[in-house]
Amino acid sequence: MTNEFGGIVVHAAARSFGSVQAVRHIDFEAPPGEVTALIGPNGSGKTTLLLILASLLAVDSGSVRVGGIDPVADPQGVRRLVGWMPDSLGRWDSLSALEVLTTTGALYGMSPEERTARAHELLETVSLTEYTRQPARVLSRGQQQRLSLARALIHDPQVLLLDEPASGLDPGSRVDLRTLLRTLAAAGKTVVVSSHVLSELDEIADRAVFVSRGESVRSQTLDEAGNQVRRYNIQAEPMDALAAELSGHGMRFEERGDSRRVEYQVMLDSTQQAAWLLRTLVLADVAVTAFAPAGGALEETYMSLDTDRR
Amino acid sequence: MSVKMQQPPQTADERTLSTRSAVGTVFGLEMRQRLRGRAWYIMLAVWFVVIGAVFLLALATMGSYMDIGAMLFDLVVGFVLFFGLLVAPGLSANAVNGDRAAGTLAVLQVTLLTPGQLLAGKWLASWVGSLAFLVLSAPFIFWALALGGVPASEAFISLGMLALELGLVCAIGVGVSAIANRPLFSIVATYMLVALLSLGTLITFGLSTALVMEEAEVTSSYYSYPMQNEDFDDQSPEPQPGDPECITETLVQTVAHTERITWMLAANPFVVVADAVPYSRSTPDAGQSGDFGYVENYRPPGVMEGISQQVRDFQAGPDYNVTCAESQGLARDVDDKFPIWPLGLLLQSLLAGGLLVLGYRRLRTPVRRLAQGTRIA
Repeated sequence: MTNEFGGIVVHAAARSFGSVQAVRHIDFEAPPGEVTALIGPNGSGKTTLLLILASLLAVDSGSVRVGGIDPVADPQGVRRLVGWMPDSLGRWDSLSALEVLTTTGALYGMSPEERTARAHELLETVSLTEYTRQPARVLSRGQQQRLSLARALIHDPQVLLLDEPASGLDPGSRVDLRTLLRTLAAAGKTVVVSSHVLSELDEIADRAVFVSRGESVRSQTLDEAGNQVRRYNIQAEPMDALAAELSGHGMRFEERGDSRRVEYQVMLDSTQQAAWLLRTLVLADVAVTAFAPAGGALEETYMSLDTDRR
Repeated sequence: MSVKMQQPPQTADERTLSTRSAVGTVFGLEMRQRLRGRAWYIMLAVWFVVIGAVFLLALATMGSYMDIGAMLFDLVVGFVLFFGLLVAPGLSANAVNGDRAAGTLAVLQVTLLTPGQLLAGKWLASWVGSLAFLVLSAPFIFWALALGGVPASEAFISLGMLALELGLVCAIGVGVSAIANRPLFSIVATYMLVALLSLGTLITFGLSTALVMEEAEVTSSYYSYPMQNEDFDDQSPEPQPGDPECITETLVQTVAHTERITWMLAANPFVVVADAVPYSRSTPDAGQSGDFGYVENYRPPGVMEGISQQVRDFQAGPDYNVTCAESQGLARDVDDKFPIWPLGLLLQSLLAGGLLVLGYRRLRTPVRRLAQGTRIA
């Protein structure tokens, strides 16, 4: 799956800052051609791991290979391959959007013609063409974010590391981002996305690595996540009939009051079981008005990990 | 939203970043930001007004001296150096950690740019930024030159040394900015280092003179009016007043062996600039002094020339034989002394170089040790 020439393989990575252990033990794999989500609560070591992958930070121990290259031994080699979009909005205020991209392109060793062409192309990709000559400071937060994404893509990297790329984006831009990332993955790039907006990742990611307190606690593909035990919310008119039917099949359910209407939540083992239950309810003449997973597949895993949320 | 996947003309593995292109890009990035901000122009305007005011004031008050061109030129050089030492740290000492604070440093570090190229580009940009102040002083420099009395060699070397000193101060500033985390701290630290060079060397020198005091036999000269003849009579012609004669006497004095400690002054920017300039103006030599110890064409030295003479004098050590001419203010002939400015440049370069090396080590990535309280991005 992950060979010598592409993708990311991290084994037992650890990194501390003084007495703070930001990364204790992370195993991480991101194969080429797939979008890998890096999921975890704030301060769980996501950004630190991405800095390690971007060759900015050295690991204290463990092994890291990005496209088969060790970032500590050959940072330049890794940098040719990697595009990194930081979570902080660092920007050169007085430069135009075009100049931001061409300057970065120059520093990746691209020729003037090549970087200018690529910059125009990317401005189109992230829908910022009207800001080509505008100073970057007039851009809104979401536009900055898109410019930052374009900057990470300027040298057509094989590996893309995106730290919270969706934050600050309007719904339309989120859809665009999803399409773009799927396109890049389809072209064989290795894409790593860190986020805690789980519903986003459900649709973007092929696989997910969950980190908590600096440790990778779970790694699964979205298919696996979809087939695990999940909670479903069910609503019907009236609710009594639903309750009777569920009890009749010996299913445990609990009443949930945290949405606007009362709903029942049941645990189902698989999508097959969900399909069976829905059919059973409908055939029993229960007027089902809502029948849906309680959260995204990744959210289910996230919650089940019982991590240190405060 | 789609991204074209056609193969770029060069594949990623083939791309390399030449040092020239890297330094040029960083330089261009810095200069573009500076030229588009307002702060730099305001500083330039203030500079122009201040230096213009000083120049015109000096022109008005020194109008009576015959060698006013040289005097004014010297004054402008001294003043430009003084203000340059104030401006250069401001332009250089937040070059790297300012980017760190703005979150743009990591964006540079993640490219093929090396720490050395980054420092070189930043340094070049701050140097060129401070050279603009020198260029802005040009009208006054040319004005002074137009008044005559300054050989071209002196003018060129003075300006060259000014540019060099600004470059060294910028290097110190960029080095400190790469080492320190906070811009405020690095700017203050750079000012302290410049003060250490400019004033600290003087203070150290002054305090050290107490350590090199020795008793020595010294011949000193002074002019005195001859004693009136007490027993003159009316027949003798009246003594003419105003016929001073030179009196020479030998006595034991405490002298300072400044020649042993003058090297301490070498790193002073004013000393470096003053000492490097060959002051080959028409200086009357002692032999031409008039009969009455009155030196014809006596010309007071300019600010920088005065510093140069003073340093050469310190280098020569105690003057065991003060001649009559010297007592009239003529400098003694100490031109054969070893020039001190190369030592000064060496010391300053070592300081700047050392700071840049430390800064380079802080900029190396992947970072192994990170200072407390810093974030990479």
